[in-house]
Amino acid sequence: MTIKLDELIKSFNKAGYICEESTALTVFLALDLQKPLLIEGAPGVGKTEMGKVLAHILDTDLIRLQCYEGLDETKALYEWNYQRQLLRIQMNRNLEGEQIKEDDLFSDDYLLERPLLKAIRAEKRSVLLIDEVDKCDPEFEAFLFEVLSDFQVSIPELGTVAAKNIPAVVLTSNNERELSDGLKRRCLYLYLDFPGVEKEVAIIKAKVPQAGDRLAWETARIVAHLRQQQDLRKKPSIAETLDWVRALVALNRKRLDGKLVSETLNLLLKTHADQEYFQREIGAEGVNSFLKQSGNGGEICKCR
Amino acid sequence: MPVKEKLPQSHFEDNLAVFASLLREEGLPVGTTEMVDALSALSRIDLSSRDQFKTSLQATMVKNRRDQALFNRLFDSFFLPPEELKKQSERGARYKKELESKMDQASREMQFKGEMLGLSQDELQQYGSLPSEQRDRLQDFVAKTEAGVNVEPQFKPLLENVVKSHLRYCRSQEKRSREETVSRGTGSGTGGEGAEGSDGLTDYLREIDIEQIQAAELPAAEQLLQRLSRKLAVQILRRRRSGPRSGPLDLRRSLRDNMRYGGIIFKLKHKPKRRSKQQLLLLCDVSGSMKKYSTFVIHFLLGLQEVVRNLSCFSFSDSVENLTPELKGRSGLKPLLDRVIRRSKNWGGGTNLAKALDQLSEKYPDYLNAKTTLIVVSDTKTVSIDQSVKRLGAIRDKVKRIIWLNPMPLEQWSDYRSVASIGELVDMWPCSTIAQLEEVLTGRL
Repeated sequence: MTIKLDELIKSFNKAGYICEESTALTVFLALDLQKPLLIEGAPGVGKTEMGKVLAHILDTDLIRLQCYEGLDETKALYEWNYQRQLLRIQMNRNLEGEQIKEDDLFSDDYLLERPLLKAIRAEKRSVLLIDEVDKCDPEFEAFLFEVLSDFQVSIPELGTVAAKNIPAVVLTSNNERELSDGLKRRCLYLYLDFPGVEKEVAIIKAKVPQAGDRLAWETARIVAHLRQQQDLRKKPSIAETLDWVRALVALNRKRLDGKLVSETLNLLLKTHADQEYFQREIGAEGVNSFLKQSGNGGEICKCR
Repeated sequence: MPVKEKLPQSHFEDNLAVFASLLREEGLPVGTTEMVDALSALSRIDLSSRDQFKTSLQATMVKNRRDQALFNRLFDSFFLPPEELKKQSERGARYKKELESKMDQASREMQFKGEMLGLSQDELQQYGSLPSEQRDRLQDFVAKTEAGVNVEPQFKPLLENVVKSHLRYCRSQEKRSREETVSRGTGSGTGGEGAEGSDGLTDYLREIDIEQIQAAELPAAEQLLQRLSRKLAVQILRRRRSGPRSGPLDLRRSLRDNMRYGGIIFKLKHKPKRRSKQQLLLLCDVSGSMKKYSTFVIHFLLGLQEVVRNLSCFSFSDSVENLTPELKGRSGLKPLLDRVIRRSKNWGGGTNLAKALDQLSEKYPDYLNAKTTLIVVSDTKTVSIDQSVKRLGAIRDKVKRIIWLNPMPLEQWSDYRSVASIGELVDMWPCSTIAQLEEVLTGRL
């Protein structure tokens, strides 16, 4: 399964994933070189979405491994079906003359595939999304080395299992901790930043076509300005912008005003401290004066 | 699909290798794997597109966001567009011409009794690039020597030695001033392991009050401080009580081990217990009275940052400011200093600990939990002492432990009511000298 660069760019657009050409080129190279792609960026910039869109474009399964502290190989790679093994042992005890061997118990019949093994043994090239890899422990990160460089895993009872089809691997990280050099060396690297106003307008139009031009433009401007506020604890993500626009469309609004922004703020800013910051530093008045000047590139408020 | 161009011969690869070594020199970990990936990537793109070329190299050679700016700078100066290359070669030719004329002038000026002084090309070049007053001084010296009474041509080697020594001196002065600029710019020293206990300077630095450490002694003191704060983190986070020895049941090992009993689970096997990670929250007083301890605060913070994964940091005076994002960004000392000192609203203000603690509890409640060890670095000088003590008591109930490092000299502690009131609630340790901080580490924490 190969895809050309221009086809990939078209497919991204068709799937509603608006991205720069450089982003598409990096993804193309990762697919073509059969190397894992490590995507870093702030939460909500579209890292996980990239994996999903890629599975859609390649018309294949998305196999997702969500990382967290304490994740180990029994949850990521494989586990033996102990209940079934015990039942088999008990059944054999009741059968005269039947001798059970260890090999019988540790065979494919008793193997529970977890995401990594599933991706490696898949009959068709799949997309393996290893999400939030920075949340797992360094020990697990080291364990990923074998999978990501040779696309094979070692199971003591079965031997080495090599990939039938090398999966397209996407790793995402919120950069909560520095990943090891070993892991990075095995990957191509892509940093996704928050989109600019124009790109965000394009995303809004692609995902919420019911939103009018004016509403899309005004929401993108306000969200971009909020992201510039250094003191916000959590900057609004693309997903939150889209939720906000959908809510505004549901309310049948064609344009924004300060009161409406204040009333629907909880869709955009998800902590009390951030909402308080908005009311204190910007407020409905600030939004109104910004919207008046937005055509001239004016500022929303005097805050930092 | 762009037309794929065949890669030119080894000249192209050589260039790429030189570029990779440049990146390496700047500290980017570009190894053979990255080189092979880069070459493979380049064979799959349209080489006539500069953007594609740059993106391919960036995706394969740079694995970190903070290195991307450096990569861009090096890329733009290494892979020049043809028109820029032309301009640069013109600039190069101009520079070469200027250099030649300077050398000519230098050889004319550095003459003794009609003969050129025996200076090397490097020395002549150095003479040519000296500031004009220094050059005039040297010329004047040569002219006066030449005009002296009973000056024979045999004086020439002597004069040459004097001129060479002077040039050597100028070179060393220039180097020193360059090093001092770098050291001031980064704020860190290069003492290395030499700053160990036996060193005289280190002993002196240990005993002197932190606020009296002179600028020249700063690099060594900073290293000492960073090393000590690392030790402190280990000391604080050390577990002193053993928890349950085993974790959840390990069915796989249990089953395998009990095969010999016909599959009846006779002996249970457990997985190793997972240790929950502790959090360290540092609250630094940056009010006016603490200004003199700024070195201590910042380097203490940097030392902790290197070893503690779950480190959060706030500065406070009459409000709190979250510095954790700066630490997480690992963007280095300069942005941190900028944030703490220059941009901070708190720096140099008055202290209102009660108000700051209120803000901390209200705005950042998730930072205060049973896993948190709170370290406060402050001289306790605050308004509303009673309220501050009350708020501190409330926070003490939420967190695992509070450790207070007080840089105020020990002999002044009895003069301040705040020290006694706060000291009743928390473990307070003096740290006005580095030796005192070391004492804190000798098992008493």
